[in-house]
Amino acid sequence: MKYTFMLTTALASCVCAHIAFAQGTENDEGITAANVAAVIKPEYSPYAGRSYPTRPLFGDTHLHTAVSVDAGTLNRVGQEDAYRFARGEEVLSTGGLRAKLARPLDFLVISDHAEMYGLMPQLLAGDPEILSTEKGRQWYASLTSGNFDTIFATAMEIVGSLSGDVPPIKSEKAVRNAWQAYTALADKYNEPGRFTAMIGFEWTAIGGYNLHRNVLFRGDASVADQTVPFSQFDSKNPEDLWSYMAEFETRTGSEVLAIPHNGNLSNGRMFTVETFHGKPLTRELAAKRIQYEPLVEVTQIKGDGESHPYLSPNDEFAGYETWDRSNLNGTEIKTKDMLKYEYAREALKTGLKLEASLGVNPYKFGFVGSTDSHTSLSTSEEDNFFGKHSGVEPEPHRWEHVVIQAPNPEFNIYGWQQAASGLAVVWATENTREAIFDAMKRKETYATTGTRMTVRFFGGYDFTSEDADTRMPATAGYQKGVPMGGDLPKVPAGKAPTFLVAAMKDPIGANLDRIQIVKGWRDAGGETHEKVYDVTWSDGRVQGAGGKLPAVGNTVDVARATWKNTIGDPELITVWSDPEFDPKQAAFYYAKVIEIPTPRWTAYDALRFNIKMTDNVPMTTQERAYTSPIWYTP
Amino acid sequence: MQRFVREPLVHFLLLALLVFGAYGLVSRREPATATIDVTQAKIEQLAGLFAKTWQRPPTAQELKGLIDDYVKEDIYVREALRLGLDTDDEVIRKRLRMKMEFVSDAEAEATPPTDIQLQAYMDAHPEAFRKPPQIAFEQVYINPDKHSPDASAAATALLEPLRKDASYAATAGDPSLLPPSLPLTDQQGIAQIFGDDFVAAIITLAPGEWEGPVSSAVGLHLVKVTDRAPGILPALGDIRPAVEREWMNDHRNAVEQQRFDDLLKRYKVTVEPISADGSPPP
Repeated sequence: MKYTFMLTTALASCVCAHIAFAQGTENDEGITAANVAAVIKPEYSPYAGRSYPTRPLFGDTHLHTAVSVDAGTLNRVGQEDAYRFARGEEVLSTGGLRAKLARPLDFLVISDHAEMYGLMPQLLAGDPEILSTEKGRQWYASLTSGNFDTIFATAMEIVGSLSGDVPPIKSEKAVRNAWQAYTALADKYNEPGRFTAMIGFEWTAIGGYNLHRNVLFRGDASVADQTVPFSQFDSKNPEDLWSYMAEFETRTGSEVLAIPHNGNLSNGRMFTVETFHGKPLTRELAAKRIQYEPLVEVTQIKGDGESHPYLSPNDEFAGYETWDRSNLNGTEIKTKDMLKYEYAREALKTGLKLEASLGVNPYKFGFVGSTDSHTSLSTSEEDNFFGKHSGVEPEPHRWEHVVIQAPNPEFNIYGWQQAASGLAVVWATENTREAIFDAMKRKETYATTGTRMTVRFFGGYDFTSEDADTRMPATAGYQKGVPMGGDLPKVPAGKAPTFLVAAMKDPIGANLDRIQIVKGWRDAGGETHEKVYDVTWSDGRVQGAGGKLPAVGNTVDVARATWKNTIGDPELITVWSDPEFDPKQAAFYYAKVIEIPTPRWTAYDALRFNIKMTDNVPMTTQERAYTSPIWYTP
Repeated sequence: MQRFVREPLVHFLLLALLVFGAYGLVSRREPATATIDVTQAKIEQLAGLFAKTWQRPPTAQELKGLIDDYVKEDIYVREALRLGLDTDDEVIRKRLRMKMEFVSDAEAEATPPTDIQLQAYMDAHPEAFRKPPQIAFEQVYINPDKHSPDASAAATALLEPLRKDASYAATAGDPSLLPPSLPLTDQQGIAQIFGDDFVAAIITLAPGEWEGPVSSAVGLHLVKVTDRAPGILPALGDIRPAVEREWMNDHRNAVEQQRFDDLLKRYKVTVEPISADGSPPP
């Protein structure tokens, strides 16, 4: 068992994390208020001519399979079963359990690690390309030796080699074979209108500090096959990744984007004010970053990175499934001064500052969530959570097992700390690679911690409370404003921004507690601030002293892992106007929707395995959604 | 390659391997005195691993600790192997099993299916390829919170005006993020938005007229089914990639099962009796 642990933890320390950034160009293409208004001319039928997105698509942009070198040492579920599972079919987990989603995903990006892409399955299958390399021969011999210590040591060596400077096995042909097998499989499972298999990979630089990015392709296999995954062996500098992406776009005429994740484990490196080499950030690099990184993955199994209580002391809902003890592999303690460069809300504020000095905001990004699961199973629901990697799939003791082992046991991450999160939600006009990619580019996306609630968020200057009472709030939203991810136009004299915000519960999930709007702004002195407004809430509660809203209550029966929707509301909608708007101050606004309390995955484990966990293990959670911001620029 | 074969060093190494292999076999059974050589290469590897984690080389004392620990580990591992502790290790067993499955998969995928095979597969599994029946409808939402205590009565009161005036649907009811209408959509797609109860309720509705109220996860609805499409079975030519995908998936499993069955024949398996409730006997 000890061996299992060590292997597991070694794996996990190499298994990645992420969070992210922003996007770049000034004007979004595709759906804008203007071109939507153009198609919504008065017609007899109010539904005629609608071309805006009408249904959110739920997916995962970050999933690993046995093809990833780290996952592959334990996980034996391949890419094909990962697709089948995401499409709603039943598959067997590595641990031999039958696994099935409550509802299929609308889209999936299998983002296996670029580093030695596809090495594991090819190695184990005795692929001649791999065996023609010295390390390949050696590892194959070791892994097929049947000798315990040889196999184990080799697995350790393979995992460790991921963060080295030189790939132990460098076979461009083998990588190309594996990549093209993957893109062909993606094409096979991609079914426009029903299920989108978007092509992607993960660039896994600086293992312990997690500067990782997922790179997503707009095109199909014929486009993606014109390159091979860019790995940390090519460069550990994200600026070089952007150059690779730029070169690819120029050469193919197609598009790619990158999504960073787990800034929370970067120990102050993800959203800094400097270049990779510690020089002051330049306008050119800031522009490049936001051009190629329009989104950040703000919530996933390895913790949530939207906000941190230390940075947002006045926000009672700041911090969710917070991992803030150390960097990813526990080799460096985290200090408070690092936090401001790690969390998305603070990064949005940093972006406003940098925009003042550089003329470009490198952190003008939108939000998605995803799992980063290494089990091939994209599971983000509390009652159906298969864990971070195949060493912590469901079994009675997984809550107390080490997920990521640190040299100092104080920084170990234990099973119960995993968050069953999250989902990437996209307001795309249709379920295709192109439409989803384009929605991501214009940041018309939101993140959830695994729940499938529907959230709309529009900003403009003319929303009135009547817009919240119309039959189709989205029509008013697109006609009179910009959707999440957009920019407010120039402010008319004497006006303040107004926001139309609405949320509907997950059809099989919990009711809603409240909707908040988070505002961040830059004052005349260049300092940034934030304020969180409760804008609408359930059950007719009355705000108390200082505007504080009483808690929604709690109906969770932990022992039975159930709850009742007798509190909260199924839908919330309102129009809110910024009461403290100053037209001279740059600002951003985003919506945060919070559910009523429900059982956390640990409560389901305790019930199903009939076990008692220690008192420090949380048993309830309040799931949430974060929309991409809308920006105001003076 | 030929030069490689003639190389004396290779011969020497092969011979050495033979000797050591034979020694290993013997020593596995009879570990009288074994040797552990901590080579320079091994020491460098230990130091390197340490440096990778800590971003600095180990001190002399730390290095000694690493080496001592390595020796301890090596002895334990050898003893564990001698005691056969590797045989019940889950990680090793899973790894080996996975490799057997890889071999089988490669064999299964070697030959692509013919149209005749695929057509036969479709004939045998029509449900897997049938396009599910679809329903198109309009709906008007009634928020129970706004019409308590009798939301159902409030909903029913809207039925007549809706039936009389086709344009009334655009403004009737309460605001909601739910789409006011859906084009032809299969049941699963409708359930993803409105929930399973709603789907079960509208399946039986007669088309062409406002009916209801029916309930969903968020409240009550008046529904007018505007179109229905029966499920159809497409021709192979229209869905060949999907059929091939499913055929291959089944084929792969079948080949693996066949290989396993063949292997199973080479073993005599005895299982001790288990009690009626599935628990092991006392």
